[in-house]
Amino acid sequence: MRHVKTAMAALLLAALGGGSAAIFVSAPAPAQTTVKLELWSRQDPSGPLRPANVVKAADRLNKELAAEGSGKRVKVAVHESPAPGFDDDALQLLKVFGIGQGPDLFIAAHEWICAFQQEGFALKLDDYIAKYPQYFTTIFPSLWQSVKCSDGIYGIPQDAEARMFFYNKKLLREAGYDDAFIEAMPARTLSGELTMDDVIDIANRVINKAKAQYGILHRPNKGPDYIMAFQSYGNNFLDPGTGKLLLERDKLAAAFGWFERGVKQGVIPANNTSMEFDALRKAFYTGNAAFWMYGIWDLGTYAFPTYGLPKDEAGFFADWGWIAAPPAKKGGQAGSLTHPIIYAVAARVADPELAVRLLGHASDADLNTDHAVTTTHLGIKSEQLKDPRYAGAWPLARATELLKITKFLPNNPQFGDLNGIIYTALQGVETGRLSGQQAADFVVDEATSSLKDVIVK
Amino acid sequence: MSAVTDLAVERRYRAASAVRRRTNFVLFLGPAIALTFLFFVIPVLIDIAVSFTDLDRTLRISKFTTEQYQKVFRGDSRLPQVIGLTVVYVFGTLAIFNVTFGLVLALTTTSLNKVSGGFFRGVWLLPRMSPSVLYILLWLWVINPSDVGLLNQFLMPALGLARPLDLMTSAPVALIIIANGFIGASLGMIIFTAAIRGIPEHLFYAAEVDGAGTLAKIRFITLPALRWPISFVTIYQTLSLLVSFEYILLLTKGGPFYDTTVFALYVYRRAFTSGQYGYGAALALFLIVIGAAAALLGWRFFDFKRLLQHPRIEVH
Repeated sequence: MRHVKTAMAALLLAALGGGSAAIFVSAPAPAQTTVKLELWSRQDPSGPLRPANVVKAADRLNKELAAEGSGKRVKVAVHESPAPGFDDDALQLLKVFGIGQGPDLFIAAHEWICAFQQEGFALKLDDYIAKYPQYFTTIFPSLWQSVKCSDGIYGIPQDAEARMFFYNKKLLREAGYDDAFIEAMPARTLSGELTMDDVIDIANRVINKAKAQYGILHRPNKGPDYIMAFQSYGNNFLDPGTGKLLLERDKLAAAFGWFERGVKQGVIPANNTSMEFDALRKAFYTGNAAFWMYGIWDLGTYAFPTYGLPKDEAGFFADWGWIAAPPAKKGGQAGSLTHPIIYAVAARVADPELAVRLLGHASDADLNTDHAVTTTHLGIKSEQLKDPRYAGAWPLARATELLKITKFLPNNPQFGDLNGIIYTALQGVETGRLSGQQAADFVVDEATSSLKDVIVK
Repeated sequence: MSAVTDLAVERRYRAASAVRRRTNFVLFLGPAIALTFLFFVIPVLIDIAVSFTDLDRTLRISKFTTEQYQKVFRGDSRLPQVIGLTVVYVFGTLAIFNVTFGLVLALTTTSLNKVSGGFFRGVWLLPRMSPSVLYILLWLWVINPSDVGLLNQFLMPALGLARPLDLMTSAPVALIIIANGFIGASLGMIIFTAAIRGIPEHLFYAAEVDGAGTLAKIRFITLPALRWPISFVTIYQTLSLLVSFEYILLLTKGGPFYDTTVFALYVYRRAFTSGQYGYGAALALFLIVIGAAAALLGWRFFDFKRLLQHPRIEVH
């Protein structure tokens, strides 16, 4: 943090009048200090207001400081990282902190926060949050779980979203499913009637009877969405007692088995992991795939502006829809995944109070709603629900329904690395290099040899 | 008196000669020695030092340890596959493209007239002259696993394929060998062309007079004359293929799964993707040892000592 001192000379106002020699001297104004805070943020088209809101928050904080009579002022400099994803970004930032450099504030995916905490790079925020409740009390309590590490809170939730299985109703109708079946899918999933294997069956019928090449598509790189399928098969990856990573071989094999069956039936393309994001999105949104495993924000970022899907609720749900991640067996619990992005403060920040207050303003309901409605992310505060703009953004209201059953990725410092291993194994299964069981063995083998403190069952 | 003068002159001459030798040594070998130290010896020493630490994704060292080597020898089940693939990749690329295809290109382009030969050699040099990213972008377009891929645009109608070919999934190893081979072949082509042009023409005329056909001339005149260039290209390209992985990284990222992760790329994936710098350094050390061993074996096998010995000048 750099302090730029602007010396304000005390002004002497001398008034000489009527021959009197009276001299009036004003009280000296406090010397103004500008505190420059650097914010690390990855260039991300899905959330340009994440850093922009912090820049705007500086104006609000400066007004607050002026009203308090403080001589401090805050200036935010944004460092934009070109990392292609949040995992690469976090790895890069860990290195930057490791060599004693780095920003004062940073934006990260929540599952990485404990990696920063473990290395002593992130500031523990419990005391500051307690000291400034006005900024933070209305943040949804469940979201704080996403920023908790073993000894406390190390981040401030910036947004949330819901991950789901989008589906193309037109293709299902073409495949012979009636409207009653299609419209009941979301409710049947939530009640545990529709299972993961049913999704494969539906997708199978679509590729055989409708004009569609693909049944189910998922992201082509490491990320959270396919983890929903693993959660459906009971993989939570975290031992609740110790907080260590937990791998259960049978449950892993069952989840990989689902992908294996999908590929064998021609429903999941064997080359899904080597396809481009754009090609996958195009395939789904132009009617060439039945299901797309992704997040609600994809609607605002790509589906509406790029592929011209109807922006109105009725128009959208006429031909498109989504279901939660179905359970593995009938009667099981459906699931969803939310992947909050968070603000965090570097441990080395010189003025932590100012940094936390700045992020407090960046979390203001109106600023957060700007981000939510423009990028289809879920808000973080209860008062946002009353904002007409938020209430009018139907994808947010509809996706919020999934928050009741949502889960987070484990907040374990090594989960990012484990997810890389899981993704590699997934690629092995889909390209026919590994069976479901071999993939489970691969994950256990790789994780136990390259990660620390992994519990295997 | 004269003898003393001669001695002094001789001493001065010897001293000047010694100074000149030292100056020449510094002038001619100095830069090479400095570069070798800067870009080989010092990095190797750093690599050895890092391999005995637990340097991780935060670039911090908390202890000195031998556990990276224990992992190499005992704990890494991927290594056998990676080493096997590296052998296939290096010898496949070398045997099919860098030597054989390079030789075929040299033989065919030297048998054409000068303009045509030069033109075709220029065409085959294009992959080497193109920036690696551009070259691989073209490859990605050629093999795109949809009907917009160049290959599929030709093959789907020609072979009546219902679904587009996906070489990235079905034949990734062949793909990296071909993509690298197209670049590697050009070096062999240039060197072999120069060597073929150096063969005295009267040998070919004499062979023709004796009734030799084209194949006989290649077998009995050209190939024996190319022994040293072939040896050089083989050793040079073996070392080059062992340590280079940029084209593979750009084309397949080492996948699908670990199918195209050669040893050098494996080191990169461990160190820079997983953040296990200590382990990556230990693996890299093995690559250095393997490279040095391959160079020495090649030296011995191809009898390079004879190649580098002083030529015997005939005095008439």
